[in-house]
Amino acid sequence: MIRLSQSQRSGLVGAALLAAVLVVIGVATLYFGSRYQIRLVYSAYVNLIVVLGLQVFMGNARITNLSHSAFMGIGAYAAALCVTPENIKKISLPAAPWGLADFSLDPVLSAAIAIVITAVLAFLLGLFIVRLTSIGATIVTLAVLVIVHAVFLYRTDIFKGNQAFFGIPQVFDLGWVVGIAILAVVVCRLFRESRWGIQLRASADDEVGAAAMGVQIYKLRLIAWVLGAVILAVAGICYAYFLGTISARPFYFNHVFLTLAMLILGGMRTVTGAVLGTFLISFGLEGVRYLETGPVLLGIDLPEALGLSGIALGAVIVLTMALRPTGIMGNREIETLFVRKTF
Amino acid sequence: MEYVIQQGLNALSFGAEYALLALGLAIVFSIMGLVNFAHGEIIAVGGYTMVAFAALAIGNPVIVMAGAVIAAMLASLTLERVAFRPVRKADPTTGLLTAFGVSIVLQNVFLMFVSPRPIAVTSLYFLDWPIEIAGIRLASLQVFETLTTIVVIVALMLFLRRTVLGLAVRAASLDFEMVRLTGIKANRVFAMAFLISGLLAGLACIFIMARRGSVDPHLGFDPVLKAFVACVVGGFGSLPGAVLGGFLLGAVEVAMLVMLPQSLGGMTDAFVFMIVALILIWRPDGILSPAIEKGDKL
Repeated sequence: MIRLSQSQRSGLVGAALLAAVLVVIGVATLYFGSRYQIRLVYSAYVNLIVVLGLQVFMGNARITNLSHSAFMGIGAYAAALCVTPENIKKISLPAAPWGLADFSLDPVLSAAIAIVITAVLAFLLGLFIVRLTSIGATIVTLAVLVIVHAVFLYRTDIFKGNQAFFGIPQVFDLGWVVGIAILAVVVCRLFRESRWGIQLRASADDEVGAAAMGVQIYKLRLIAWVLGAVILAVAGICYAYFLGTISARPFYFNHVFLTLAMLILGGMRTVTGAVLGTFLISFGLEGVRYLETGPVLLGIDLPEALGLSGIALGAVIVLTMALRPTGIMGNREIETLFVRKTF
Repeated sequence: MEYVIQQGLNALSFGAEYALLALGLAIVFSIMGLVNFAHGEIIAVGGYTMVAFAALAIGNPVIVMAGAVIAAMLASLTLERVAFRPVRKADPTTGLLTAFGVSIVLQNVFLMFVSPRPIAVTSLYFLDWPIEIAGIRLASLQVFETLTTIVVIVALMLFLRRTVLGLAVRAASLDFEMVRLTGIKANRVFAMAFLISGLLAGLACIFIMARRGSVDPHLGFDPVLKAFVACVVGGFGSLPGAVLGGFLLGAVEVAMLVMLPQSLGGMTDAFVFMIVALILIWRPDGILSPAIEKGDKL
């Protein structure tokens, strides 16, 4: 029997509370939602997994990462390349090298391969990234994003660039993604409260101090980086397994900023913040998009306003940074809202 | 030999543009630790000002260029007031994210109130004509751009070394609290830095517009991404570093264009960013930044 510390026990309680919220939203959508709404909520859950993957590294090591959408893309493309049936690949990728068009695997094996490929790539890149701090590290992650995107666009014989990579069988439905999101929440929360997570957060507060106490900063950052990449790969797989088509465009700057805004609004230091930010922005943006189309509200015919959602997203980032730089949740997790701390 | 000189001059003019932009980023960063990603949108403000002049049927190039530069300076000052004052004391990451937010807001404001499509601006085409000296073909624009950058560097150096406000700006990048204790108003120093940054963006805007001939909401994003990279490579916050980084990036980019086989044409950016990443891994704080031990109190 593993003995859990105080914070780990409260972490499990917090994860359970968040899981309950996720289940309620998922079940409510399944029973009452239209097809369109189910799609919408599904993508919110995929973004939630992305934000959680981002939180593992960014929230604990507190180094701004801009390459997360690239890792999501790697996971999505790797799984898609494995799982798509041969006959479809023969049509869509006639010039694929290395016999990529001559095989297809079952979804579970494909997902496993995609996760391993992403993890190995992340590990190799991570060896360099963890040695950098603040702006330098951020630029290198930016470079990773640009390079991966350029490869997606350049190797059209494998990735089809900006055209749709189609024919991916639909494996997941909303229930699956809710389950996976809950798993991701539990993993993130347990990592945060684990020995590694605490040491990593300490190193973010005071790098020199933590190192003097014997914290192996590079090793811990690397662990968080690879774990984050694995979660991002899972998010990519969920994306590909539901939509059936992918292209390079969704894995670039727009998505990076969208998910970054979610994490910042909720508060990147906590898992609760990641969940809260994702749902606030996902559902908030949907409302703004409705206004964008120029609806008739209370008898007033509003004009069409393309770009309103972008303005809202940017304003959320600016206002959060100006008014509450640590996000809505700050350092508080969900259970601390209910339980008074006794020490 | 001629080919080498030709490409060398190309690299110089590419580098001049990046250096101009990188200086605008570096002067703000050196004082308040802000990575101003909204710099690109300042350039776009200049571009849209040119559109406005065209709509008013004002074709006088001097007015158009001066108008664009002044608009860029005013926009830069406004951003300092509205968006960046609250995060003045925050850490670089907070500032970076704020700047990203401002940049997204402005891009979408252009998209919403002007047009998502590119708008042609023809009033600056006259700046660009081919020159041929001793068998080397050049565009006049390249010459103007390189000369402007040199003038800007000299002027900036004179300002920073010979005037009181310039001295205050330099001192502020070392120890801001101390500067305030000597009785210099903090707001004036910040305003000055943003004003210079806006001026540089306005000048860069003229050259970018003369070359592209059109403006769209994302006009400034790519150039500033490159300039940002130049800054980091040269040593963030160091003005000589920004210039060095700009010219280095120009050289790397031209070298990539020349040396990569045609079939790898789409990968230029990937290779440029790879080299940048390697430089940062070699020297994490950039080439010209002073060695700082972690934990040093600055």
